[in-house]
Amino acid sequence: MKKLLALVLAAVMLISVVSFAAAEEKKTLTIVAWDATTTAYLAEQKAAYEAEHPDVEIVYVDVPSQDWTTDMATKLNDDKFDIFMVKDVPSLLNWYKANALLPLNDYIEKAGFDLSGFKGMDEYYKFDGNQVALPFRSDFEVLFYNKDLFDAAGVAYPTNDMTWEQYKEKALALTNTDPANPIYGTFYHTWLSTAVNYTVADGVNTLLDGNYDDLAYFYQIIQDLEDAGACITFNEAKAAGLHYSGVFGNGNVAMMPMGYWYVATLADKIASGEYKVKNWGIASMPVKEGVKPGSTFGNLTGVSINAVSKNPDLAWDYIAWLCGEAGAKVTAATGNRPAWVSEDVAEVLAAKEGFPTDEGSKAVLLPTFVAIEIPGTDNTAAISAVLNEEHSNIMTRTVSIEEGIEAMNERVGEILGQ
Amino acid sequence: MGRLERKNTLIAYSFLAPNFIGFAVFTLVPVVLSIAMSFTEWNGGSLANMHWTGLKNYADIFKSAKVGSTMAESGFFAGLGYFFNKVDLGIALKNTVFYTLVTVPLSLVCSIMLAMALNKAVKGAVGFRTIFFFPYVASMVAICVCWNFMLMKNGPVNQLLMNLGINFNKSWTADSTMAMWAIILVSVWRNMGYYMVIYLAALQGVPRELYEAATVDGANKWQQFRNVTLPQLRPTTFFASIMLIISCFKIYDTVAIMTAGGPGRSTKMLVLYIFQEAFEQYKYGTASAIAMVLLVVVLTVTVIQFSNEKKFAND
Repeated sequence: MKKLLALVLAAVMLISVVSFAAAEEKKTLTIVAWDATTTAYLAEQKAAYEAEHPDVEIVYVDVPSQDWTTDMATKLNDDKFDIFMVKDVPSLLNWYKANALLPLNDYIEKAGFDLSGFKGMDEYYKFDGNQVALPFRSDFEVLFYNKDLFDAAGVAYPTNDMTWEQYKEKALALTNTDPANPIYGTFYHTWLSTAVNYTVADGVNTLLDGNYDDLAYFYQIIQDLEDAGACITFNEAKAAGLHYSGVFGNGNVAMMPMGYWYVATLADKIASGEYKVKNWGIASMPVKEGVKPGSTFGNLTGVSINAVSKNPDLAWDYIAWLCGEAGAKVTAATGNRPAWVSEDVAEVLAAKEGFPTDEGSKAVLLPTFVAIEIPGTDNTAAISAVLNEEHSNIMTRTVSIEEGIEAMNERVGEILGQ
Repeated sequence: MGRLERKNTLIAYSFLAPNFIGFAVFTLVPVVLSIAMSFTEWNGGSLANMHWTGLKNYADIFKSAKVGSTMAESGFFAGLGYFFNKVDLGIALKNTVFYTLVTVPLSLVCSIMLAMALNKAVKGAVGFRTIFFFPYVASMVAICVCWNFMLMKNGPVNQLLMNLGINFNKSWTADSTMAMWAIILVSVWRNMGYYMVIYLAALQGVPRELYEAATVDGANKWQQFRNVTLPQLRPTTFFASIMLIISCFKIYDTVAIMTAGGPGRSTKMLVLYIFQEAFEQYKYGTASAIAMVLLVVVLTVTVIQFSNEKKFAND
């Protein structure tokens, strides 16, 4: 019996060694990404690149998005991984300071890669002159709206040049507090960004300047809407762990400010019948008086090369493809807005099945101005932590808006003063 | 040393070796490195990024400059007030100590009561013991998610309270006072099963003759409990309280899942603060310094308890 077991184990070991050797024929590119199994565009990008390069196999290492920051801390300096996807600039800055990334400047110069297609967004990935990553997706916040609910209430659709006052009026007009079938004028996801980041759209305010009095305007709007029953309260949304995708998809929310990435999910899930919402559109985010319509804030998603990767050249080849026009068209075909901006790419975006066909929605694809959500500086991580803590204080009504903002000013002032 | 003695010694060491090697590699060495790391600043990348900073980390986490200047300007207690209300470390210490001071006695009381109730051979006692012990072995994440739902604004707990006349119209984890009590509730609920089992075993060890003698002397149930049972349970209580205090200072998973330290910083605990500094801010040196503070606090408490052992242990 024991002898048989030993023989079986030895045979298993032998087989695994042989198959491992056989698998070495193809070149493997290992990419660390979040939600790799549920993100549509990752599969499309892999398929498109492998079709053009049959000798390369792309392997995604999946990390759940809420554990991203902490999980990545263990993956730096591990030569098993070639490419790290970049979720936010503060993390990228931390990785850069940990010397975990390969600067791309030489590769860009040798390949003559044209950076102008990024319309300056690539600058956010540059630290001390080192281009440590390139963006392949550039999301920005737009206003999703449910056309059927607007028609039923007889309210005009949101236009691309609304002010926040007009937005608030529409939200109140669309609200129906009937407990049997509640209709909410709008929905705010629990993030800090969906609540108040609109303040950076004027190109002057940032979230790092230590002065947060401008946020009071947006907090007041949300609290007024909550009190009027026009949106689900922060407490309820937090406690129930509501996710914006399901809430809007359920069809009883008339408007929702959210990132452009939601377009792909919406189109797919409506086509599959999972979502009840049928006719929807997007409009440019409302702006404050004096700010140019079509201004909003956004974020970049990019790719970077692991400093200790064993295949840096192959990794660069993939990055150049992904972030350039070729990869941009593949990304656009999945409904996600690539970082590379050109007329051709915009055509592909608008042609995606399920994308709203009205001119207003199409016009949103060429925004006037996109400010980055939060630039990467040494203090970004610490300041973000403080802002998020005070945000939860304000949104749960533990403190008044004035007290919360005062705390923000005080605490961030201390960080900046160091 | 004779041959036999040496052989026995070698055998003893070889039995101890695996456990000790594991302890040395996974606990001892990291702890020592962590003590050293608390005097450096490191962002987790290559080791070349580790810089010796001496006591700077401790000055930072205690905000000694600001606390000192507040004390100089407005007095000692003003400085302390600033530390415990505005400085992250002070808030974390305050929250953790409050949590420990409430959870430990509550857990002990509940477990003793449960053990007393289930000590008799009542019908279904074994079933009840299993039910009460179950939370301790269940998945912490599942427990916390379920309790989050129960403590929602219109959840079962609030509805029960409304029926009792208390109108608490808020989700527990969204209120800065009740969030702490939510965590205490879940912890006590989880602990009482485990310590109930320990007390059950201890109760079995109380000699019957003592109860009989007490009855003969005319003691009623309550007097028997106070004067026979409790004193006999002192070693167990001593053990349980030490284990509880140490585990309460280390609370992390409940807080991380239920409140993430919120709202604001009202449930920010020491280990959560360490985690945030290390893995969200990439400041391993600072995190190690906080861990040292935690070590000193727990060590002090444990040493005080052990030095009082003569009082608690049976002679």
